[in-house]
Amino acid sequence: MTSCATDRSKARFPPALRKQHLGYLAACLCVLFSTGCSTHSKRISQPRNLFYDGQLQACRESLEKLAKSSRHDGDVVNLDLAVVDLLSGQAKQAETKLRDVRDRFDHLEQDSLAEKTVSMWTDDQVRSYAGEDYEKILIRVFLSLSSLMHDGVDAESYTLQIQDKHEELGQRFAERNGSAGPEYQPLPLGFYMRGMLREATLRDYDDAVRNYEVASSLLPNSLPLVWDLNRARSGVHSQPGQGVVYVFAMVGRGPYKIEVAEQPTSDALLVADRIISAVGPYKLPPTIAPIKIPDIAVPPSDVDNVGIRIDNSTIGPTSSVANIEQLAVSTYRANRNSIIARAVARRVIKKATVAAAKNSMGTEGLTAIGMDLAGIAWEATEAADTRCWGLLPRDIQVLRVEVPAGDHQLQLSPQLGKQPVGPSKSTSIRVVDGLNTYVICWFPDARSVSQIMCSNRAELVSNP
Amino acid sequence: MHRREWLKSISIVTLVGMSGCRGYQYGHVIKPTAANMVGSHEAGAEVFDPLIDEAVAKLLARQNIVTDDCPIGPNGQPMKKSICFVGIENKSAEDIGDFKDKIYNQIDSKILESSCFQSMSKRMVDAALHETRMRPDALLLPDNMRLFTAVLERSGSPVDYLLYAQLTSGTTKRNSSTQRDYELTLELVNVHTGMNDKLSSEVRKGYHKTAGGKFWNYNPLKR
Repeated sequence: MTSCATDRSKARFPPALRKQHLGYLAACLCVLFSTGCSTHSKRISQPRNLFYDGQLQACRESLEKLAKSSRHDGDVVNLDLAVVDLLSGQAKQAETKLRDVRDRFDHLEQDSLAEKTVSMWTDDQVRSYAGEDYEKILIRVFLSLSSLMHDGVDAESYTLQIQDKHEELGQRFAERNGSAGPEYQPLPLGFYMRGMLREATLRDYDDAVRNYEVASSLLPNSLPLVWDLNRARSGVHSQPGQGVVYVFAMVGRGPYKIEVAEQPTSDALLVADRIISAVGPYKLPPTIAPIKIPDIAVPPSDVDNVGIRIDNSTIGPTSSVANIEQLAVSTYRANRNSIIARAVARRVIKKATVAAAKNSMGTEGLTAIGMDLAGIAWEATEAADTRCWGLLPRDIQVLRVEVPAGDHQLQLSPQLGKQPVGPSKSTSIRVVDGLNTYVICWFPDARSVSQIMCSNRAELVSNP
Repeated sequence: MHRREWLKSISIVTLVGMSGCRGYQYGHVIKPTAANMVGSHEAGAEVFDPLIDEAVAKLLARQNIVTDDCPIGPNGQPMKKSICFVGIENKSAEDIGDFKDKIYNQIDSKILESSCFQSMSKRMVDAALHETRMRPDALLLPDNMRLFTAVLERSGSPVDYLLYAQLTSGTTKRNSSTQRDYELTLELVNVHTGMNDKLSSEVRKGYHKTAGGKFWNYNPLKR
């Protein structure tokens, strides 16, 4: 059969041109198919640095430029832009962007035949980015926060969506792996925010208790959650003449993806072997050189919490209600084997394609070396898909304080343990009798310029 | 197998094996007469709708008899009794999520349809709760009740009854099957006399992990 095929190709091409031209053609195809030497992690580094330097406008411009220049980065860049919007006081715009990406990620959960096929011959960067599981959950968290910062109309719906999405992703993981692991432990923040909003109705204390109970069981060492629970069980939201301030502090620099060279694990090789074996009597080669895959990196943090002072009185530090680092690392690592398996299968398919091309054309000598080099180039230009939501905090913390209605001076300072480690930042807030006032701040590290946003609900109520 | 065939089969696998195209999501309007979807994991409209219909109908029917001697207004028509629907307490095993406000509105609307009762605006009730800072469950204490109704009266909404709704559940388990009994209790408290009336409705629902679970547990031969 091999000889027949070779005879046919000899008949079509002059012998002198056949080997050389086909070799060049294969090399060209390899280069054409190869994509992006540049990864998202490289492209996003400049806007990220601008953001942490507190240059929000420059960061926005840089991100907008990136969104226009790179089609495949559009959604993740929009997520970063939503964070910039939220922290620069444009909460409504942030909510719109987040809602668009949420809907798009939901749509992209369905598979695309064309993209999957092309990605097997190139790399994962050609696929539309459907978001990591932790990003899908956090989109809903940020939607809740954005909504609270302007009108709060949809905040409660978003808090329900946090729990629904988490449950759905956990179930999907369990279906894929046969059992639900601890990787998909619910995020306490979702329950906390729902309890907070139900308590603010001054009527649905039973819902508040139910949600605080779940949050407290997820964070058994959190004393503020015990206080919240006790208040919801037998107290009231606030005493007459008083209102409540919730400070949501985003602390540290959050997870992002980097490219790493990984030795395939036995589990990943097993999955890859199934893919390869399905197409013929071939087996996975016994050794596979390290492959490029994305991994989650979290920079070390020199800020533990945020110290709160109101009108020069020390209130206390914020306490964690969402460990984003843990959520990102655990949910990403739970699905890592499938990423490795896809990379291994891609490697084998590329190698086999080059080998098959050489064999069918009967190449030898320089042409064969040329084709080998083209094959190596084809594999080498493959890059890990490092697209991710780059502007996430490491931790979301909260502090609740009941204060008399009226205007107050709020002072926030980054702390390591109980010691302030950076300059504090002040803002004035208006507290309305019986209502919640929300404050969002971000301290990426001790030296970075922090941003503080206060909800405008107080003004809306006082000046309807 | 020849390499060319191998390549061919790879192409087939990449094209067909990794099947699936991104589609769209579709929606449709459900006719009012169509049956509700039955939730597979927790209660939904199929449970709450009949619970509300039955409980409210029972309560209004009984109160119609009790309040036959309601005073006649200046226009010669019987004056409607005013009900302050304080709220719903969920004590069931499930989180009812976005159903709570829907249940509140459904009960409220049904009371408004009654010829003998009128329901107080939810916003009025919220404002009174805000002003007094009382928990709904603390309103039954005589002093608190007096203060709360005084606030409502001051704003032009005299109260005759306080209405509380409570959702409870009871769970029976048998291997991979579960039966959950949902009960909605409506409690009407007369603020003038302190007397209360209570009525409940119940819907039972089975949850099964196997397709034959329903038949196995609820067939006519089972005791």
